Formats: sequence, C-alpha cells, structure tokens
Amino acid sequence: MIKVNHLSYAFKIGKKEKENVVPVLHDVNLQVEKGEIVAIVGRSGSGKSTLLNLISGFIQAETGTISINGTKVSGLSESKWAEFRLSHLGFIFQSFQLIPSMTAYENIELPLVLKGTNEKDRVERTKEMLKRVGLEQYQSHYPGELSGGQQQRVSIARALILNPPLILADEPTGSLDSENERELLSFIKELNENYGITFLMITHDHEVASIAHRKVEIVDGYLREGRMLREVQR
Amino acid sequence: MKFKDKHRFVRSNMKRNRTRVWMTILASTIGCAFLIMLASVGFAIHKTAVDDVMSYRLMNEIQIQKENGMITDKEVKKLEKIKDVKAVTRKKHTPANEFTLGDYMISTSVFSAHMPSEIKAGFELDRGRLPKNKNEIVVGYHFSEQFIKEAPESFYEGLSEEESQEKHKELVYKEDLIGKTLTYHLTPADNKDQNAKNLSVDVKVVGIGKKPTKKWAIVTDAYITDDLRKEVVNTLFEKNKNEGSLEEGYDDVKVYTSSAEEVKAVSEVIEKMDLLTYSVASELKELNLYFTLFKAGLIFIGGIAVLIASIGIFNTMTMAVTERSQDIGIMKAIGATPKTIKRIFLLESGYIGLWGVGLGTVLAYMISYGVNFALPIIIEQFLNEKPPEDFILSYIPWSLTVIAVTICMGVTLLSGWRPAAKATTVDVLKALRRDV
Repeated sequence: MIKVNHLSYAFKIGKKEKENVVPVLHDVNLQVEKGEIVAIVGRSGSGKSTLLNLISGFIQAETGTISINGTKVSGLSESKWAEFRLSHLGFIFQSFQLIPSMTAYENIELPLVLKGTNEKDRVERTKEMLKRVGLEQYQSHYPGELSGGQQQRVSIARALILNPPLILADEPTGSLDSENERELLSFIKELNENYGITFLMITHDHEVASIAHRKVEIVDGYLREGRMLREVQR
Repeated sequence: MKFKDKHRFVRSNMKRNRTRVWMTILASTIGCAFLIMLASVGFAIHKTAVDDVMSYRLMNEIQIQKENGMITDKEVKKLEKIKDVKAVTRKKHTPANEFTLGDYMISTSVFSAHMPSEIKAGFELDRGRLPKNKNEIVVGYHFSEQFIKEAPESFYEGLSEEESQEKHKELVYKEDLIGKTLTYHLTPADNKDQNAKNLSVDVKVVGIGKKPTKKWAIVTDAYITDDLRKEVVNTLFEKNKNEGSLEEGYDDVKVYTSSAEEVKAVSEVIEKMDLLTYSVASELKELNLYFTLFKAGLIFIGGIAVLIASIGIFNTMTMAVTERSQDIGIMKAIGATPKTIKRIFLLESGYIGLWGVGLGTVLAYMISYGVNFALPIIIEQFLNEKPPEDFILSYIPWSLTVIAVTICMGVTLLSGWRPAAKATTVDVLKALRRDV
C-alpha cells in the first residue's frame, strides 16, 4: 500500500542563501501492506509527523520516493496531489480539523462536494455515514456544539465518506478522554477488520499503538522497525 | 466541485460577513453609478448636439453646390444615375416673392421645383393636389399663418407682448387657401421702382404641403410651375434689361440616398464630378469624433471612482482569505485543488461586483430620470428661465450601460484576483496548526 524508499528531509530555516538546514529524516525506508495497521511512534521532534506529512503530500521531499497504492506520488504537482488525496486518502487529525462554519452534515459531505458527486448520492451517503458513526441527531450541529468525541467521529466520517483504501491518522486520540479513546480504537479495528482499510497512525500512546499490527519507531530521524505486535500478543 | 456547490459555499461565506460585504457592495454601487452618471452627461450633450444637427436636415440628404456657376440639367441627370441615389431634388429660385389677396399679403421664398423628385424625396401634401396648369401653385403648411393684413396705426399700442401676439391673430387670413386665386406680383423684393408693382399674374392655390414633423419648423414657401417661372423671369428681365439676365440652372440641388449608410459612397462619386457636397453624415463624423473623445474622458474620470471601489473589494477579499485560511487549509488537506479554491474566491468577488454593478446601474437610471425630470423645474423656479425644449442633462444609452458593466466587472475581477491567488498559496500545515 505504501512504499517509502530512501526518504530524507531537512527543514530550511532563515532567509534564502543564508538559510540553516536542519535534517529531520535520514534515509527512511518503510513498507506498509494493504490491510495493515501501522503505528509510528517516537518522541517529540523525532520526525514522525514530518514522515506523515511527506506521505500526505503536505510537504515535498527532496530525496527519496514515496509510492501509494502503486502510484508514485513524490514529485506530483500540488493539483495532482490534491486530486490524489481526495480519491485515495482519508485523514484523522488530533484536533479534528472540522470547518467551524459548517454543520456536522456539511463537514462530512465536503469530500463528496469536492469530488463533484451528484446531490442525490451525496445525501444518501452522508446520511448513511452519519448513521454509521452514530451522529444522526447531531447532523445540523456545528463543531462548536459537539463534544470532542463527537467531533472526532465527524472527522472519521469525513475521512471515510469516499471509501479511501488508506487512512492517515495523526495522534487520533490526542484530544479525547479515555472512554472516547477506547471507542475510537475499537472503531478503527472494526474498519480495518471489516473493510480492509489500511491505517498509518502516528502516536506516542501505547494503548493506541497496541491495536497496530506493526509498530515502527523513529529515533532522531532514523526509522527502526518494530516487531509484529499481534504476533507478540498471540 | 460543481458550480452550484461553489455558489452555495460562497453564499454562506458572504452571509457570515454580511455587513462588510454589503458595505463593499455599496462602494461598488456608488462607483458604478458615478461612472454611468458622469458619462451620461457626455452622452446627453452629444445626443442634444446630434439631434440639433439632424433636426434641420436629413441623414440621407446631400447638398450639392458647384464652385463656379449653377448645376445644370445635364449634371442633374448624371446625379440621378449614380448607384443608390433615390432622388435628386432641384429648385430654381424665383426673384419675385410677393402674393396678395385683397388686403392680405405675404413675402416668401418662391421656387419652381421638380415635383416628381420632390415626392420621391418625401414631399407630401396635407391637402389638395400638385399643379397641373401653368398658374397653379402649392404653398407650405404655414403659408396662411403668415398671410396677413397690414396692421392699422396704433394697433398694438399699450399691449403687452402676450396681448400683442393674441391681437396679431386678428390680422391672419383664416379661410382655407385651397382654390383661392392670389395675385402674384412680378417684382423682385429689392426693386425700388414702385411702378413695377403694377405687373402681376393671378395664381390659384391647388395644394398645401404637409405639416413638418419638427414642431418649431415654419414652412411658408410657395412652389410655382416651371412655365410660370419662365414667364416671371422673362417679365422681370424685360423690365430690367440693363441688369443682365438670370443664369439658367438650379439654385438648390439635393441628392437623397436610400439610407444614411450610402451617403459616404455617393458623396465620393459626386465629388469626382467636380461638385461640392455637404451632408449631415460628414458633419456628424467630426462631431462624433469630438464627442467620443469627450465621453472617453468622462468614462476615464468615472473609472477612477470604480478603481477606488475596487480597493474596497480587494480589502474585503484579502480579509476573507486571511480569516478563512484555516478553512482553506482543511479543504486543501482533504483534496481541494488550488483551482477550486481560486474559483471560489473569484466567484465571491464576482458576486460583490455583480451586485454593485446591478444596483449601481439601477441607481444611475433612477438619478438620470430624476435629474432630467427635476432640472427643468428647478431652472424655471429659481432662474426664471425656460430651458430649451427636449433638453436633457443625462442620457444613458444601452451602450453606456454595457461599457460601465464591462469596466466595473473587469475591475472587480482584477481586484479579486490577487486575494484569490493568495488563497491558493495557503500552507496546509500552517493552516492546520492554526499558525496562519
């Protein structure tokens, strides 16, 4: 599903030609198989978010390649990246990233709107998704009127509405209490088991990492492959 | 993303900042209305000038003159053969110009005209018929109004101007002139020989010309037959042998084309015949050039107001982009392309412009109507003067509306372009971190 080869990245700080180069990732190689849940763990500043941002196309690497679902995405133009994200990727963010002026319904519907789906289909799919995440009665609520757990469910519904094969999650439980965290993790497991959706998650939470099939750790920009957790559990 | 969804998206964004958006629309409205109103003054002056020129002459009329001498029959025949020439009217001036009937008398221009070509050129009778016999004449519509008795002494004494005008009507001939026999005095107007008045001929009025379409035009001319003119000329030169004879030829020749578009081409052909031409079309050409420059200047000045309004649109859109940076970032993260983002913001500035242009145009039409309605009243009330008839201060033709709408929409879209382009450069990561 994801193939990362010899990926390196460095931040450039300061003015052009007088900039300081701060290396973040060094020769990262990673492969995520279809249907896997992979957790990337590491300390703050280790480079795990940068790796996710590179895989998401939010930043572009200067060296190395990334392929997702058989498509070489490194080097794509901004427009192509946007189109690719819309069709192949779903995102779950720590701070939900819902548009405050839109209702829960409109936030979930947004990817369908961007895709240009016809209205009848949109209504059907959005209502079905609201039902799936248990937020039917909150469809006309704005994000500010929902709890953290509800907002994250809206965010997940939005990520799933176009049935992407891969979901990238950045600290998905970071803003949730333990009860909502458990609920979310079981939902992720269910999606993975029932629909075969691949998850690549960034977390520093061991409980979150515990649902992953595989854990990879980033230490000072170097990737260290972990053991198959499920195998250990078994 | 479908247009309908973009529209929905933009509408909800505009609703959120209703006050700011409406203030920007108001600025655009004022800018657009100012542009139209200012230019409409130029258009009104131009229209008045053109109407003024055209009220005296017809657009398809070409006046012909010869540098030396008069235009002959041979030349008239040639003129008639030119392509697109509808009619060639020719008149010979007759020096004797006095008619009487009892105590009533009139001095007017007398011509012998080629009536078939006059009819072709548009001459119409109000009543009666064209002359068939030598001593039959046709007179202008206002002939009888000027056919008056000599006022007795002290007739107007002690009367105001208005009362004098009223009293004057008592002197005017009131009966229908058709069928009446007038005495035509064969004496040139400038002849000081009082005995010459004894020579005269009786003429019968058989037709009266149609009332001119221009309210102010007064037509008192008399048309006599060619045979009668010959008799008049012979009589006059018999009497004034020492003054030489009148040259044979036409005093007044006019060529009429089928439409105004053909005037230029026909004029060129006539000029090649060594004849001089004059037409309203050529006069209007110069007039139009002058007024086009004048109107362009006014539109330019009005355009400055639109530019100022566009700064408002630029500010509003820049603020909208800044305020919605997070939303833009989220949309980009999910999969909105830069093109989609740009179009959304361009659509928003376009809507602001469209509202401004629409309201501005309506406002301009209302002001224009109000000004044209109220100004003559104000002039009459405060300056005690009557403005000229058909006077307008503001005139908005459809072409001005099209020009103003194009300028306003163009400026609006240009001013929204930069903020829209800025929206596409919003950094997703910064937006998601709420750093923008």
